[in-house]
Amino acid sequence: MTLLKTPPALARLTGGRRELVDRLFAVQSLVALLVVFIVAILASPTRDGEILFLTAGNLGNIVRAVSEIGIIAVGMTFVVLLGGIDLSVGAILGLSAVGTATLMVDSGYGIAPTVPAVLAIGAVIGALQGYATARLGIQSFIVTLAGLQVARGLARIWSGGLGIPIAYGDGPLQAPPAFEILNGSINGVVPVPAVLFLAVGVAAIVVLRTTAFARHVYAIGGNEKAARLSGVPVTRVKVAVFAVCGLLAAVAGVIHAGQLNQGSPNDGAGYELDAIAAVVIGGTSLSGGSGSMGGTLAGALMLGVLNNILALNNIDANVQLLIKGLVIVAAAGLQRLRRGVA
Amino acid sequence: MVPELVRMSGITKRFGGVLACAGVDFTVRAGEVHALLGENGAGKSTLMNILSGVHTDYEGDVAVHGEVVRLRDPADAQRHGIATIHQELDLVPQLTVAENLVLGREPRTRARLLDRRAMQRLAREEFAALGIDLDPNRPVGSLRVGEQQLVEIAKALSLHAQVLVMDEPTAALADAEVSRLFEIIDGLRRRGVGIVYISHRMEEIEVIADRATVLRNGAVAGSLTPAPEHRPQLISLMVGRSVEAMFARPKTQKPAAEARPLLRVAGLTVRPRTPRPGRAEPDGIDLSVDAGEIVGLAGLMGSGRTELLETLFGAGPAARVTGAVTLDGLPYAPKSPRAALARGVGLVPEDRRGSALTLPHQVDHSMVLSALSRLTTLGFVRRTRERASVLDMMRRLAVKAGAPTAPVGSLSGGNQQKVVLARQLMTVPRLLLLDEPTRGVDVGAKAEIYQILHRLADEGMGILLASSELPELLGVCDRVVVLRRGAVAADLDPADVTGDDVLAAAMTAPGGTDR
Ligand SMILES: Nc1ncnc2c1ncn2[C@@H]1O[C@H](COP(=O)(O)OP(=O)(O)OP(=O)(O)O)[C@@H](O)[C@H]1O
Ligand SMILES: [Mg+2]
Repeated sequence: MTLLKTPPALARLTGGRRELVDRLFAVQSLVALLVVFIVAILASPTRDGEILFLTAGNLGNIVRAVSEIGIIAVGMTFVVLLGGIDLSVGAILGLSAVGTATLMVDSGYGIAPTVPAVLAIGAVIGALQGYATARLGIQSFIVTLAGLQVARGLARIWSGGLGIPIAYGDGPLQAPPAFEILNGSINGVVPVPAVLFLAVGVAAIVVLRTTAFARHVYAIGGNEKAARLSGVPVTRVKVAVFAVCGLLAAVAGVIHAGQLNQGSPNDGAGYELDAIAAVVIGGTSLSGGSGSMGGTLAGALMLGVLNNILALNNIDANVQLLIKGLVIVAAAGLQRLRRGVA
Repeated sequence: MVPELVRMSGITKRFGGVLACAGVDFTVRAGEVHALLGENGAGKSTLMNILSGVHTDYEGDVAVHGEVVRLRDPADAQRHGIATIHQELDLVPQLTVAENLVLGREPRTRARLLDRRAMQRLAREEFAALGIDLDPNRPVGSLRVGEQQLVEIAKALSLHAQVLVMDEPTAALADAEVSRLFEIIDGLRRRGVGIVYISHRMEEIEVIADRATVLRNGAVAGSLTPAPEHRPQLISLMVGRSVEAMFARPKTQKPAAEARPLLRVAGLTVRPRTPRPGRAEPDGIDLSVDAGEIVGLAGLMGSGRTELLETLFGAGPAARVTGAVTLDGLPYAPKSPRAALARGVGLVPEDRRGSALTLPHQVDHSMVLSALSRLTTLGFVRRTRERASVLDMMRRLAVKAGAPTAPVGSLSGGNQQKVVLARQLMTVPRLLLLDEPTRGVDVGAKAEIYQILHRLADEGMGILLASSELPELLGVCDRVVVLRRGAVAADLDPADVTGDDVLAAAMTAPGGTDR
């Protein structure tokens, strides 16, 4: 009978291994990013012995392509930590792109009034949505579903349903040439939108790690009743979080207009789903209260690398969707596993 | 020889680096109540979770009816005739009382559909046996903690198990319900059921248990027959030293002239916009708490103690509130807990899991949540200051945790309760409202908490303490106010009364004409 007992040394070992697994899971999305990166290198087509995936130009393309979704995903992370969801971000991006083009080109305002105005619109829409969920007690899914329609409708009305091209120059119906910087790169290598993404990401990491605001967000997402009883200003925090999410979607919209040299009312359709995917792959729980910003950044990059390598290999667009879907399910499954064991 | 139902031998269980059980031997015989005692974090729940199939990776053997088994999950344990009332209530809040009762073994009609009638019948039968009056159709989420505990008990009883594990079943019950439960336990014992009974209330152990095993730091410290004359021995087995008087208070009797009124409540009546079934809302309550005074709130379950505290903390439902409340002489009608906290009023809610904690969150973050504004500059948390105050509080309350960064859920029940208390103390309130603050807290820590309350009162804090434990109310409080159906039934001086007097006041109107 004593033979059946696990020797203490072995138990300690398994205990230790459990800890190692836990620690690995903590950087799960980073590991996933690394894995996808390595697979991409191996799967990359080559030209003259050069790995196309690893060329500076290609890597620049990846971060450039990721930056808009990445910035949106940062805002989305706050919302999801709160236990909510924001479906309106893609539509806000479209509205902001239209707003940027219209105000700058049609109305002839400079960068200075245009960009702050567009960002303010995004923040206000977000704040209104936050207020509706907090005060009226409607689920954010529904509120932002409505917000999506409203923002999309506004964008169509404002633009007359057409894309508004942005031409650069000093004349009438031309945007200030300085705005073209969003299309450029620093030293011809690092795209400007990627720098903005990095800045937003780092700022968000700092906020989430060090501020009382972040503690409130986690507290509400974890147990809203307990948070309220602990004196957390629940309404104020919710409004702020949705405002930040709307603001960042507007930032992405301005970048979008700059990168495509136009603002079209249909821009950003479906971006909300990519952003949510990045958040989930990053290990943030959709039920709120746990997750990290670093995970989201890695998740967004991973999706970008995946898109890129699939495109480099000329994989059929429909098959691409399929593969992306499977990756998301795998990432979510990993999380369940971790929670189920603990 | 009485048959042995369960024999656990050499049980060892680790959580990461924490040794929760270290080579424990434990048996349950037919027809006995075996008390399992020990400080918070001693390993009682862990040991019983192994017996009930919750933890499956342990060293040692569990034998049921003399046969070594490896219980795979709680359902497996139930098949082996082991039912458990868990310390932390595990009911589904969205489901009704009856649905929770039969969860996982719902009665079916011949057409394989849910047999609602049978479900209702079962629920009513179980409740009748327990002598409780509870509508089986209410969602569990709307029940008070004590009521949830009764549902949990009824659920375990309805399994008709041979071994019944009760992990602090009475922590949220008032005395009347406790005596009813004891009658039931007595009946089960006579039918040959083996019962494991965990509690921090020594009086209960002495009444109900046939023998007691004490755990200390995960190992068996000794076994004894519980009796009042053995109590000091039992306690010293638990804490590893002798504990002086529980309620010892350096009676600094303040002269009446010095008493400064802190809270004055006159004719407080609450009429919620949407009535809450099963709740007794304040109905013309007059009450006062002076600075430096500890006032007890006694009453049966559903007498309105929690509702009163919630109202005073601005946490009640949307309601029409009438009556006059002043705090420090100024009108006081908090619209939210945040407003109450800003006026220096804190509340320790009764339901720590539902209303206070998020189990995966860190201990330190949970502790400072209400006091963040004291620990921040420009919205940034001052880490060193935070760490210092957390460590200080953990020392003052003797919180046992792997690390300040450990998840709250990894702490034992009693230590979780201390985290909730710590959160309030960090806000340095002037008036502290406590709803069952020692629920699930061990003897040693209870004595510490009482000492802390006395110290806080001596420093001028006013304390309003709602408790179901009469010895606690009588031992700790300067005055005991008895509530009955939302109104004050008596205002007693603990020095002049016994527990029976308090109970009598809680059950009948003065003069004995009830209704
Ligand atoms: N899931 C878990 N993860 C990590 N540590 C745990 C876990 N469960 C319990 N522990 C630790 O194991 C030890 C024993 O805990 P246990 O819950 O058995 O105590 P207890 O005797 O029931 O205490 P209480 O009287 O407070 O309920 C404690 O140190 C606790 O922190
Ligand atoms: Mg326990």
